[in-house]
Amino acid sequence: MPLWFIRGLRRGVVTTRYPARPDPSASAVPTPPAFRPEAITSGVGDGMVAICPSRALARDGDTLIFDAGACTACGRCREHAPAAVTASGEFELAATERSGLVKRIQLAGEVSQ
Amino acid sequence: MSTSTTGAGPVAANPEQAAAAELRSAVARQFGRSLHIRTLDTGSCAACEQEIRMLAAPHYDLHRLGFFFTPAPRHADLLLVTGPMLRAFAAAARKTYDAMPGPKLVVATGACALGGVYQPDAFSYGSVEPVLPVDVWIPGCPPSPLALLQGLLVAVGRLAEKAPALSFVVGGSS
Repeated sequence: MPLWFIRGLRRGVVTTRYPARPDPSASAVPTPPAFRPEAITSGVGDGMVAICPSRALARDGDTLIFDAGACTACGRCREHAPAAVTASGEFELAATERSGLVKRIQLAGEVSQ
Repeated sequence: MSTSTTGAGPVAANPEQAAAAELRSAVARQFGRSLHIRTLDTGSCAACEQEIRMLAAPHYDLHRLGFFFTPAPRHADLLLVTGPMLRAFAAAARKTYDAMPGPKLVVATGACALGGVYQPDAFSYGSVEPVLPVDVWIPGCPPSPLALLQGLLVAVGRLAEKAPALSFVVGGSS
């Protein structure tokens, strides 16, 4: 009997149960950032906007505009401001409207125009 | 198979949204069980293709959900478009779309196709939208196979979309 058959029987089913059940490997992939508005001052915000390589971030006064569609989850904003940004852990990001992926985040930190 | 949730959402007041909801439920009826996918590379770096290829691997096994890849646009129900849509490729992309029998869906895949990485210039449109009518957007660079699966299930109305409700704020309503 071929060895792969025995190996398969021993390991059982490897196929994910997604979407019926969450997949354990989902936490291993890079995900877009999640922001702490109270920790983002204008300096930190502008630094993140400047460092974003895919123009996913923009600042409009005291609002940070985050385009999740443009985000490549590279993690540079997280590296730039570890206190203000974490990984969101969200990977189910499909949208039927492009505008549904553009988020306006009200900054609560000290912001100068 | 979990088919309890749909992407239709609450019934909208204005007739345009009601028509869209009706169309979506019709698409779900027709495509809910079997769907043939044609992938279209409009100038991507092939990372998206790598992830799309992984969908057919045993761990993800998209055939269990009734999705199949087809090499011919004439046999395809869904066009999975990657890349920033090079201007040199636009005519071929339009021909591919025109060759598909209706009803048909277009899914823009990856940050390039969504307009994140390249700006419109002499060589590319910068996103898929100026050339093809996009139905579903899947972000990611590249989108993981699970993200692609979710996007495909959203496209056929077997899973509700989550992205519009996310706030990307720590401790926010997400």
